[in-house]
Amino acid sequence: MIAAIVKKELLQLRRDPRLLGLIVVMPVLLLLLFGIALKLEPKSVAMAYLDEDQSIFSNLIKTGIWSDGYFQLYEVESREDIVAEIRAGRARAGMYIPGDFSALLTENRQPHVEFFVDGTMPSLTTAMKYNSSAATDDSVTNDMYFLPEDADNVVIADEPFILDTIILFNPDEIETWYFLPGIVGVLVMQIALILTGISIVREREKHTLEQLLVTPVSKTTFVIGKLLPYVFIALLDFYFILGVGWAVFDLPQPSSQLMLLLLAVLYVAAMIALGLLISLLSQTQQQAMFVAIFIMIPSILLSGLIFPLEAIPASVRPICYAIPLTYFVEIIRSLLIKQTLFVDLLRDYAALAAFTLVITAAAIARFRKTL
Amino acid sequence: MHAANPIRPVAIEARGLVKRYGDRRVVDGFSAEVGRGQIFGLLGPNAAGKTTVIRMLCGIIERDGGEVLIDGADIDRARKRIGYVAQRFGQYEELTIWENLRFYAEMYGVRDRQRLRTLLQRYGLQAYAAKPAAILSGGFQRRLALACALAHDPEVLFLDEPTAGIDPVTRKLLWDEFYQLSASGKTLFVTTHYMEEAQRCQQLAFIEQGRTIAAGTPDTIRRSLGDVAVYTVRLGFDPAVHAALQAEPAVLLVNQFGGELRIVVSRDFPGARLAGIIGDIRGEPVEPASAELNLEDVFIGLTQNGDSGR
Repeated sequence: MIAAIVKKELLQLRRDPRLLGLIVVMPVLLLLLFGIALKLEPKSVAMAYLDEDQSIFSNLIKTGIWSDGYFQLYEVESREDIVAEIRAGRARAGMYIPGDFSALLTENRQPHVEFFVDGTMPSLTTAMKYNSSAATDDSVTNDMYFLPEDADNVVIADEPFILDTIILFNPDEIETWYFLPGIVGVLVMQIALILTGISIVREREKHTLEQLLVTPVSKTTFVIGKLLPYVFIALLDFYFILGVGWAVFDLPQPSSQLMLLLLAVLYVAAMIALGLLISLLSQTQQQAMFVAIFIMIPSILLSGLIFPLEAIPASVRPICYAIPLTYFVEIIRSLLIKQTLFVDLLRDYAALAAFTLVITAAAIARFRKTL
Repeated sequence: MHAANPIRPVAIEARGLVKRYGDRRVVDGFSAEVGRGQIFGLLGPNAAGKTTVIRMLCGIIERDGGEVLIDGADIDRARKRIGYVAQRFGQYEELTIWENLRFYAEMYGVRDRQRLRTLLQRYGLQAYAAKPAAILSGGFQRRLALACALAHDPEVLFLDEPTAGIDPVTRKLLWDEFYQLSASGKTLFVTTHYMEEAQRCQQLAFIEQGRTIAAGTPDTIRRSLGDVAVYTVRLGFDPAVHAALQAEPAVLLVNQFGGELRIVVSRDFPGARLAGIIGDIRGEPVEPASAELNLEDVFIGLTQNGDSGR
């Protein structure tokens, strides 16, 4: 008897080719994607660099860092710029070599070189600190030892210069500060995608849609009326979850409450539109759930939420930038932990808004066809 | 341009409706004219296209051809004038009876609570007003659906198999109600495959595989099989008799009802010959009695003539 039930279940599954496709194809696609994407070896981490000394010695440090291939260097104008670049998210690290570097070096007075790291992502911070050792490698320092004339009376330090590591934003490397803001995005995504993903297809499956289509209510009114409550619920949830983060985990307040609200509105709109698109493309609630979950898994893994984007190979990076959660994570971390200003996040806000528009347009096009 | 005719007002006008799914025409040129206050019955076997016709008439699905006018206005501009009860229960199970009724009323901008309370009373739903719709039995689900469809007092009511799967008592109650509505000037468009219900309609159309194969009053439909005679024979089921009769080209229909065999034949086929065929097989004389042709005979006869027959 149990065999008959098993057989019947399998037969039913086989009669839903879309679901079967999702079950078979999606995991394979995701596995391939993650196999390529998740190397977890951060490469080409952007570093803002300023060498005010411009000597052959300071150049040795630059060559040492550069040769490693871990950091991608670009020059900035001032020491303040280094911090600003990291705050804006354009650089994850920075290096400052003061103008008196070679002078102090030749006098054996151990100059200080500053190495700045973004502390928002503790795993990346650790990796960056580890990789900064390229600057103090023997190949760099070998030619930096100077024997003064009265060599006998002078004690020569082990290291010709000192590398000061300065951890910016989140200097205590609190892991919850790193994860929690992004998690808010995941939870809002889950609520919005599943609630709206089911919404229309449920009315279809329960035959209530047919009764509604007879009424004079326009399709647009119907869809807007259906989605509005979920927009409010998702927005409330955003602040509720974040409130718990503030109360329980001592998360910092954002640089601007208004910008936080703008982020919440844009992100919730994107998620609700995506949920609507799923609902319009699905024939059953089951399919809608599957699609929602299959969107959530790569979003979580490839958005920089857990693994820094720097750790993901450049070939896969475009996929990361097609995920709205990527922008959400970047913006909310910047607002809360780095206290970044709006101008520096314009690009991320614009990307999120563009995504919302594209998905909404796709949903509208689809909804004209199917409803 | 399609102003209502004051002499014979037409409430529903359908002209050449066509619906295609891929290459298949599920509805192929359906036309009907239903006068105000009439009850129009759309007959046909399952999958004949009845629901597709009614959905096109209500403007739920788009037509691939043809025209639908309600009181002379295009259906898209006449939505407030129609009510629709779908074949399957389409109210919200989580909402209470009262909430469902109010919701549908508000879809039409109706906020007259007294009117809704009267509707609840009329359909015996007031006792369950605060209960979720999920608890209703099939019969009460129909009553709720009907009440919801009437919330905005439409002039035209479309009912898709309103009594399918309903017990005879409730079915009679519903039909009494349909007559009440019809008497109060509302026009009803009903699909059914109960012949006893078809009998209750003033106008009928019989469709098969999307095509109208007979239309008119129940009497016209009854004549659509052509010149036929009906005989009944007191005889239990005998497969040999059935096979022998069906082999005769002049025999249109052989139908067993318990201890009685019902046979529809062409008028020129003599009853004596029928007695002969059956008598030979049974080895005893039988006496075929003449009977009246009923709609069920016509229904089966018409369906068998189509491709989907035996």
